[in-house]
Amino acid sequence: MASRKEGTGSTATSSSSTAGAAGKGKGKGGSGDSAVKQVQIDGLVVLKIIKHYQEEGQGTEVVQGVLLGLVVEDRLEITNCFPFPQHTEDDADFDEVQYQMEMMRSLRHVNIDHLHVGWYQSTYYGSFVTRALLDSQFSYQHAIEESVVLIYDPIKTAQGSLSLKAYRLTPKLMEVCKEKDFSPEALKKANITFEYMFEEVPIVIKNSHLINVLMWELEKKSAVADKHELLSLASSNHLGKNLQLLMDRVDEMSQDIVKYNTYMRNTSKQQQQKHQQRRQQENMQRQSRGEPPLPEEDLSKLFKPPQPPARMDSLLIAGQINTYCQNIKEFTAQNLGKLFMAQALQEYNN
Amino acid sequence: MSRFFTTGSDSESESSLSGEELVTKPVGGNYGKQPLLLSEDEEDTKRVVRSAKDKRFEELTNLIRTIRNAMKIRDVTKCLEEFELLGKAYGKAKSIVDKEGVPRFYIRILADLEDYLNELWEDKEGKQTALASRFLKKAPTTDEDKKAAEKKREDKAKKKHDRKSKRLDEEEEDNEGGEWERVRGGVPLVKEKPKMFAKGTEITHAVVIKKLNEILQARGKKGTDRAAQIELLQLLVQIAAENNLGEGVIVKIKFNIIASLYDYNPNLATYMKPEMWGKCLDCINELMDILFANPNIFVGENILEESENLHNADQPLRVRGCILTLVERMDEEFTKIMQNTDPHSQEYVEHLKDEAQVCAIIERVQRYLEEKGTTEEVCRIYLLRILHTYYKFDYKAHQRQLTPPEGSSKSEQDQAENEGEDSAVLMERLCKYIYAKDRTDRIRTCAILCHIYHHALHSRWYQARDLMLMSHLQDNIQHADPPVQILYNRTMVQLGICAFRQGLTKDAHNALLDIQSSGRAKELLGQGLLLRSLQERNQEQEKVERRRQVPFHLHINLELLECVYLVSAMLLEIPYMAAHESDARRRMISKQFHHQLRVGERQPLLGPPESMREHVVAASKAMKMGDWKTCHSFIINEKMNGKVWDLFPEADKVRTMLVRKIQEESLRTYLFTYSSVYDSISMETLSDMFELDLPTVHSIISKMIINEELMASLDQPTQTVVMHRTEPTAQQNLALQLAEKLGSLVENNERVFDHKQGTYGGYFRDQKDGYRKNEGYMRRGGYRQQQSQTAY
Repeated sequence: MASRKEGTGSTATSSSSTAGAAGKGKGKGGSGDSAVKQVQIDGLVVLKIIKHYQEEGQGTEVVQGVLLGLVVEDRLEITNCFPFPQHTEDDADFDEVQYQMEMMRSLRHVNIDHLHVGWYQSTYYGSFVTRALLDSQFSYQHAIEESVVLIYDPIKTAQGSLSLKAYRLTPKLMEVCKEKDFSPEALKKANITFEYMFEEVPIVIKNSHLINVLMWELEKKSAVADKHELLSLASSNHLGKNLQLLMDRVDEMSQDIVKYNTYMRNTSKQQQQKHQQRRQQENMQRQSRGEPPLPEEDLSKLFKPPQPPARMDSLLIAGQINTYCQNIKEFTAQNLGKLFMAQALQEYNN
Repeated sequence: MSRFFTTGSDSESESSLSGEELVTKPVGGNYGKQPLLLSEDEEDTKRVVRSAKDKRFEELTNLIRTIRNAMKIRDVTKCLEEFELLGKAYGKAKSIVDKEGVPRFYIRILADLEDYLNELWEDKEGKQTALASRFLKKAPTTDEDKKAAEKKREDKAKKKHDRKSKRLDEEEEDNEGGEWERVRGGVPLVKEKPKMFAKGTEITHAVVIKKLNEILQARGKKGTDRAAQIELLQLLVQIAAENNLGEGVIVKIKFNIIASLYDYNPNLATYMKPEMWGKCLDCINELMDILFANPNIFVGENILEESENLHNADQPLRVRGCILTLVERMDEEFTKIMQNTDPHSQEYVEHLKDEAQVCAIIERVQRYLEEKGTTEEVCRIYLLRILHTYYKFDYKAHQRQLTPPEGSSKSEQDQAENEGEDSAVLMERLCKYIYAKDRTDRIRTCAILCHIYHHALHSRWYQARDLMLMSHLQDNIQHADPPVQILYNRTMVQLGICAFRQGLTKDAHNALLDIQSSGRAKELLGQGLLLRSLQERNQEQEKVERRRQVPFHLHINLELLECVYLVSAMLLEIPYMAAHESDARRRMISKQFHHQLRVGERQPLLGPPESMREHVVAASKAMKMGDWKTCHSFIINEKMNGKVWDLFPEADKVRTMLVRKIQEESLRTYLFTYSSVYDSISMETLSDMFELDLPTVHSIISKMIINEELMASLDQPTQTVVMHRTEPTAQQNLALQLAEKLGSLVENNERVFDHKQGTYGGYFRDQKDGYRKNEGYMRRGGYRQQQSQTAY
């Protein structure tokens, strides 16, 4: 994950050379059999996503949109996007599919890539690992094999470094989702853990040369003060929020475990009862006739085993906790660095 | 016969009187003629009584025969009609049935009908037409439902039936009316004695009593003109008085007059007309006059008609009748009148003036019963007296308290007189008597509650509280009947308000919590019905509830109640919130208060406060910042004075108490909120800021330090508070909580693991204990738990 940081962190302000980043992406994208090994995003798309969030998203509200582009070899090029309109409950008859089709047709008329290659979503403190995301990404990937989801974190971006990540479901998870069987046994068989639910695809931001030139000029002109947010030492708010969210998830996890535990207990209790019954009957028969006991399998079928709890949620929660932890780790690491730097500066000045 | 019909027909009787009436007359004949009220001789009445049984039963059997016919020809409508008639006839024959037992043929027809109906339903299922199936879709399957369905059908049929039965009623009434016409015609003539009694008859006891019995026999029968009956009785009294028949007879007749006055209204919901009420009061007064004047008259329920002695002057006179019941009934009527009068009208005030009279009567009866009655009766009349005393604030006694007697020069007699007036002494005496003598639980419970209420009303908090705690009513009040529960609720509320006046916010809050948190204070106090639950109850229930309502002059001001609750919640909650700012586990003390705060926050534009709630919310916000002056100005100002505080008897005392409370709690809040930014604070500064004197500040801060709410120490020489800064920061707090949660997560996880491995987890067990030991690092948390256990 840290490696991706290098890839995108710098590209926000100055576009890196495409070739170099591509090579890096290939080196890191070790997921092997996946169809897409790299995502190349147009600067336009990034700006459009950011604009979309600034205009419509606020607080915990999430904005979403469609990514357009095409696949070139093992590279997914995203060249354009458009937002889903926010629709309230008043216009319930609003047809999203219709809207998307219209939109794509219109874009096609002005000669823009109109192939649907995925979708994007903003996130609030990195809390995007949800059932909803999983479901919709599954249906996307089911329909269009190469599609990705771009996660844009506006809060981190506001702190000075663009945070944009591309995710895909791993083939394993795809299969599990296709089966729609989230029982503990199925997940165990699929050998899936929270670490292997999503795979991250390296991102490269590509701009035309003209834009690159413009960027260089802009950078020269911009004052130093414009970049200061990167050096902000304030940490408590962000950290506090993250901790709070992490705590909520841990609570959920705890409840989930308790649920699972009761399930386990119930099953074992039932099994014990069955054993007891069987033994009793066997004894009875032996006492009365001395014949070999009859098989009691019909009896066991009468008792329905308790419904096993779906484990997908707990997987997702674990994934979410993982993301939070990564976030916090990253954030604190950066902040520590900053604090040391500030201290050094202070000493130097004195 | 349902009342619906009789009342309904009253309005229309004139309009639909038509020739048809004659046609239906034979049907109406079923009801039989009312016996003449003024029958000529005794034999005649006897004959009627004797034949009544046969007649009723014959009526029933006739009806049953028609029903059977209808069943045979499958005429369900007819069957239903006849069934209804049967029900009515049975109701009429009730008195006979009570005596004789339920007739067999009646039970048989009921059973047969049921079978018939069941069969009918099943039959229909077999060969149903499309129409029938549609009809049957609604038909439920269980037995009870069938009855319900039948009921429904009946209702439907009723509409058709309505017209007919109405006509019947009218006809019937007309019949009676006709009968009565004659009597009424006689009434004015009765002024000359002979019409009442045959001319020249010697008026003796026997004759008068016979007459009285005749009149009484008509009582309660259908269609008896109650007004005329009362007039007749009054006439009889006159005659008796004129002929000097002695007090016994007069008392006897008077009893009956009052009873008929009460009977005048046919149903429970309606109330006496003012003139009737006046008459009733006068009559009772007269009766009491007689009873007091003639101590040799014995009155009692237990005296049998036969053993009455109305005229034999040698022996003490014995009259059957119960003065206590009459008075209790009178009290009920009074309550009913008050319930049914618009409380904001002049009329209500007029009626309220009668209260003094009612009290006077009760007092007289009390005096009478104290001499003659049994302890049980005395208890009952005492309770009545208590019920008329407990809710009144004794201003005289209050005045006396405020101005202590000028020296001890006052004579003993004066003292005694004062005590006689003092309601507290009165309550004490009456209640103690009841506590000692009463054997029914209900009277004692009521007396205790009234006593507590009275104590609370007069700010005797500790007596009231002790009595409440000693009575253990809180544990078993839910088994009491609703009126007692309402009284209990009223008492609790009054207790809470009393605690508030004494400055005991926590007690006030606890006492009011139950009533206020439900949001149904109005209903719980019997001061009005809630609209929203209107769908949940049917009309019958509503009527019952309406009868339970407390008359307006006994009401407790709901706004005052809510304000007291909210202010005490504010005084408790705001410092608590400040102290536990960053505690995820903190609990709300008062949900309702939080609700109000949230409502206040949701407002898009916050204007100056208007309502009482807004004032409290605004004050709470000010207090959160430790700004006691603003808080004070929000709580105590013109508007709030008018709405709330002036309603207290000792308004100024309450206000000074409140100001002080606000200062103290604001100081606490301030320290909780801002202690983290101070290294040290001078106590003098604090005392200036909150306008409290230095010792008070000192004591408040010391208390906080002792309770480990504030991590600080006092520096005596400089009079400063030195902060220790051991409080964890917000992040640290969060991290601690997270650690705790993770601990429990691990524990849960281990349990799953245990399951798989069997239960050998000794190593982990030890570890778990380790966790628990380590929890000591959250000392404040530990304290909090204790507090929450003890206090809430």
